[in-house]
Amino acid sequence: MDITHGTVSPAESTVYRLAGVSKIYRKGGREIPAVRDLDLEIKAGEWLAVQGKTGHGKTTLLQLLGGLDRPTRGRLDFSGRDLAKAAESDVRKVRASSFGFIFQTFNLIPTLTAAENVEAALVPLGVPHARRRERVGKALDSVGLADRAQHLPAELSGGQQQRVAIARALVKEPRVLLADEPTGNLDEDTRDEIIALLDTLWRERGLTLILVTHDSAIARRAQRIGVMSRGCLTIRQDTRA
Amino acid sequence: MFFLTYLRRELRRRMRQAIFIALGLAIGIGLVITVMGASAGVKAAQAKVLRALYGIGTDVTVTTKPKPPSSRPTTGQATGPGPGGNGGHATVCLNGKCYTSGTIDTLVSGNYGALSAATAAKIASLHHVSAAAAGLLLTDNRIVLPKTSSSQLQPPTSTSVDGTDISHPKLGPLSNASLTKGRTFTSADADANVAVVDANYATAHKLKVGSAVTVASKKFTIVGIVTQPQAGSPPEVYIPLQRAQALAVDPATGKSMKSEVNTVYVTAASAADIGAVQKEIQHLLPQATVTSSSDLASEITGSAASAAKLAGALGRWLAVLVLIAAFAVASLLTMAAVARRVPEFGTLKALGWRSGRIVSQVLGESVSTGIIGGALGVGLGFAGVAIIDKIAPKLSATVPSATSGGLQTQVAGPGGTGGPVTGGGPAVSHATIAVPMSASVTVGAIVLAVLLAVAGGLLAGSFGGWRAARLRPAAALTRVA
Repeated sequence: MDITHGTVSPAESTVYRLAGVSKIYRKGGREIPAVRDLDLEIKAGEWLAVQGKTGHGKTTLLQLLGGLDRPTRGRLDFSGRDLAKAAESDVRKVRASSFGFIFQTFNLIPTLTAAENVEAALVPLGVPHARRRERVGKALDSVGLADRAQHLPAELSGGQQQRVAIARALVKEPRVLLADEPTGNLDEDTRDEIIALLDTLWRERGLTLILVTHDSAIARRAQRIGVMSRGCLTIRQDTRA
Repeated sequence: MFFLTYLRRELRRRMRQAIFIALGLAIGIGLVITVMGASAGVKAAQAKVLRALYGIGTDVTVTTKPKPPSSRPTTGQATGPGPGGNGGHATVCLNGKCYTSGTIDTLVSGNYGALSAATAAKIASLHHVSAAAAGLLLTDNRIVLPKTSSSQLQPPTSTSVDGTDISHPKLGPLSNASLTKGRTFTSADADANVAVVDANYATAHKLKVGSAVTVASKKFTIVGIVTQPQAGSPPEVYIPLQRAQALAVDPATGKSMKSEVNTVYVTAASAADIGAVQKEIQHLLPQATVTSSSDLASEITGSAASAAKLAGALGRWLAVLVLIAAFAVASLLTMAAVARRVPEFGTLKALGWRSGRIVSQVLGESVSTGIIGGALGVGLGFAGVAIIDKIAPKLSATVPSATSGGLQTQVAGPGGTGGPVTGGGPAVSHATIAVPMSASVTVGAIVLAVLLAVAGGLLAGSFGGWRAARLRPAAALTRVA
């Protein structure tokens, strides 16, 4: 496994440390390895782009990093805690407080307004109602959608829906933003808007951003680019060196 | 707060499905309420019949079987003019006496044997008994003998007479009657020749308050007219028990019933004590027939009994089957809805929502749907009961008559001894009456509806919630892709 460290200062703390992580799916008696013996370190505030062909393990890696799934083997430390072995309730708490997810299909709840969709991310944190409203307003404002707070997802364009999803990911002030093809369903102009927004937020907030994309233009904005091939990750480029 | 917002929005989004599930539950619950209402109506109709037989407060009645008549004829026998006749005049022999003219008016105990007058007091002292009242169910038989040999002997007439225990106005047949004119008995009437008559009898005989009615050849002044709601054969004339005892004759012995009664009406301390009361009385009076209202109910036949069986058996099972079907449909639809919302639940899990919170959201939605179904079901139940009230035909109830018992009389027609004119005698007779059925929605039915609605919602939600809880976030999100 070839791991190249980027421009992140060695003084910065390590957010993720993966050692020998594998994820193997079993289907019809066959073993399908999605991620193989992965060793990786990701520093706080780093932007890592992950590229690769469809079915080569990009999304699986993102799910492992986001505590949405567990490795079959290996150790996956997040801030010193092994998510591979932690209790489900602990992993859930980490998800609720530390990870913000952005999906290709936005994954907004269709019956809830933009503000309520963003608020949904604060529900598991037990934030009081008044404080929730305040934070939701700020989050929507930060993505330029303060005036669309009461709109349903169906009343918003694709780009606006993705902005709501970004606001939902950011409202809890996570340490890590995990984005899976966030521009995959958007036109070129909107894609650029969203990526510019993510770039700004990453810079301003010091987030750790892990972004899965097919788009090399987007990937080049990241500090490091990793390519997943047959479950193996190769760090190929430090674009910000 | 967020829970309610989310719940409201989801119900609105899936309104068609929610309405479908709610309607299914509503039909099931409405049917249960309708069946319960109909069943309550049939039971009420039966209870009306029973109350009319033995009064509102009577839980148990105590009687004995009549003894066979003594060798001396206690029943009448008549011979008429003809070759085998007696000089052309009709002759009626009764209690050893033969009459050829005049009116023979006797007050006899027909269906039941005699009990000591002290029996009521003994029963009243039993542990589980609240009150006991004595009564005499009698028949006044009257035969008018023709004045001339050429006249035809008229069939005898019978009037049912109840010797009423004035000291216990809440027990016995009179307790269920409604006074339409005059007054009922007072304690001052205990030894007076006063009577209360049934309205139908009064109409048929053109009697009113102040008129006189003849019982056992004695004139009784009518002080009140009453109606009975429903009865197989309500007593036609009520007279004070003391007077009835003085005038009645026991056909078994041919003697006066001065210190005897033939029925004791008993109220148990509580409904739960009725069985114990029956046992205590049976122990006290081994020869007695101890009958509870449920025993009497089992003796009722006719469409009222058939309707009771229909409501109790077929109706109940039909309602249960419809409910099961409604619950199954609600559960399947909820599970299907959860299947469609897998990506949504996956997203919520990714946001850090607890499985329990997602399950409670699903349960909340299905219980809300259930409650809407329950409310609709109560409405349907009311409608069903109203329809039954409108279209239900009158039920017929064939009940054992408590007051019948005529004089067994044989009349000799012209040309020799004849056949019987009236039957009855000591055998228990039956009467068929029409009972209006009035179905009603009870509080119990509404409470049951609410419970069923919540249960239906919980059941449907549990399946869906269980499915949602089992979802792994990654698997759920993969469905999005």
